Amino acid sequence: MLNIETLSFQYGRRRALTEITASSAAGNVVALVGRNGSGKSTLLRAIAGLTHPNAGNITWRGQRLERLAPLKRALEVAYVSQRPSLSIDLTVHELIALGRFASRSRLDSNLRIGQAIALMGLEALKDRSFHELSAGEQQRCVIARALAQHETNGLLALDEPFSNLDPGETMRVVGALQMSAKAGALVVVAMHDLSLVDRVAENIWWLEQGQMIAAGAPIDVLTPAKLEEIFHCEFVRGAQGLTLAARV
Amino acid sequence: MLAALLAAGVIARLLIGRDPAIGSVNFSWPESNILVLRFGAVRSAIVGGACLGLSGLLLQALLRNPLASPFILGLSAGAGLAAMIAAWSASMVAAGAVGWIAFIAHGADGVIPGTVGSLAVLILVYALGRRGGRLDPLTLVLTGTVVATICGALTLLVQSLMPPSSRGDSWMWFMGQVPELPSSGAMWTAAVLLFCSFIASFRSGSALDAASTGDDEAESLGVSLRRLRILLFLCAGALASASVALCGPIAFVGFIAPHLSRLLLGSRHRALVPASVISGAAILIWADAVRQSIDVGAGRLPIGVLTALIGGPVFLMVMRSRQMRTGAWTC
Repeated sequence: MLNIETLSFQYGRRRALTEITASSAAGNVVALVGRNGSGKSTLLRAIAGLTHPNAGNITWRGQRLERLAPLKRALEVAYVSQRPSLSIDLTVHELIALGRFASRSRLDSNLRIGQAIALMGLEALKDRSFHELSAGEQQRCVIARALAQHETNGLLALDEPFSNLDPGETMRVVGALQMSAKAGALVVVAMHDLSLVDRVAENIWWLEQGQMIAAGAPIDVLTPAKLEEIFHCEFVRGAQGLTLAARV
Repeated sequence: MLAALLAAGVIARLLIGRDPAIGSVNFSWPESNILVLRFGAVRSAIVGGACLGLSGLLLQALLRNPLASPFILGLSAGAGLAAMIAAWSASMVAAGAVGWIAFIAHGADGVIPGTVGSLAVLILVYALGRRGGRLDPLTLVLTGTVVATICGALTLLVQSLMPPSSRGDSWMWFMGQVPELPSSGAMWTAAVLLFCSFIASFRSGSALDAASTGDDEAESLGVSLRRLRILLFLCAGALASASVALCGPIAFVGFIAPHLSRLLLGSRHRALVPASVISGAAILIWADAVRQSIDVGAGRLPIGVLTALIGGPVFLMVMRSRQMRTGAWTC
């Protein structure tokens, strides 16, 4: 269970998050939505235990992640940042193997790395240099690294993982994340594509200017009226789910 | 291959000699008194070069910057300035009156104050080299170059304040040298620091790989970045200082050694740590062997000049490489 209680965070004098309160059980996909600069990435970093909040707290299975030793925390939560970077020349396989840095079991590690490579469809690329890949392929590599890292009932925090992916790659990643959730993980994803959110997420946490303005199931939160008010675009909800109307 | 290169360098340095009477180069097993001197140079080159190679690798890995090295970032110059100030101040203190001050000031033949100097420069360059909250590789190098120039000027100033009798030695040291009769204090301190830093770096090899992914990702993978940086920056600073105390500031060995190792063994740090130690030693010993056969009319070519002539073009090649242009090295 992930519990966020009156969480506030600020960068210098700028307040990024204000008294956020939310919770979710494991086995769900939670989508963090909101406009650019609304605080999604900051909240995701806080959930992953990478920042110390100024007030309030976040607990995962009763533990405060930011207080755990990094090695112990890595076994609980895996994080994918918005812009994957790598300053040395590693192959795809070597990069994904970094996901097992905190693990002590080599046998288990090889199995998990192989599974992650297969799930992301990277078998043909595994001996290629990470730097030679397209942005979408690189994105799949870092997602595979997170899949190799997290334990079946752990926490996966991903910051806009679909931003560089084509529709086929997007559906592959969606499938992998849903599979992880079914296996007992909690998946928290910051994303912009509301049609995709509507289909993928069980829960939505909607942030605006660092405040949680809505939380709940997509059907309750993503109403066309609310979306038009926030984004000034017209959305329609039909048999295909939520779609952006042609007129903007 | 690197070990073979080092072994061949040792043999070459022991065999290459020069007849001072006619100035010609000869290759022969020397007499025992000459052999002792050449063994001394071999020991200095191995320890000094290994310190530079490992220090360069650690700086490149921790700063995620392929252009980093103790010389380019000004660590060598900072260590040199601090060691020179320590030597000058120790000479000013009346012997025995405040002996413990002299010991601290001139500790381990300059290694202790040199470490303080190199770490002070590292902190300064790290703070000034940030642009928009990020460490920009070229800004870092430019900052290091300016700080090194300032330290070099201050070193010359302190040198001019020293007694005339000791200026000759310090001038030779300032140009970089591989001493045939190294000071035992500097040699032992450098060897101990090299051993400890090697163990710490080798054990941190996987963490250094993970740290190359960016701060948030590395922390998320389980790396304690703060602990890793404090430990290995200390090692890099101490190694730079040890090499300066032993050989003076020698350009580019700490830059080339990690790149040569990467070219042969790839980017995994568990392999790069021993490889950079060996390649640093091999480069310095070969440079010392080659310079024995080059006479520029005023004696042998200073080793710092030779390494700069070789390392400078390599530096420019890396700076203009595809990875630098595409930003793969930025952090």
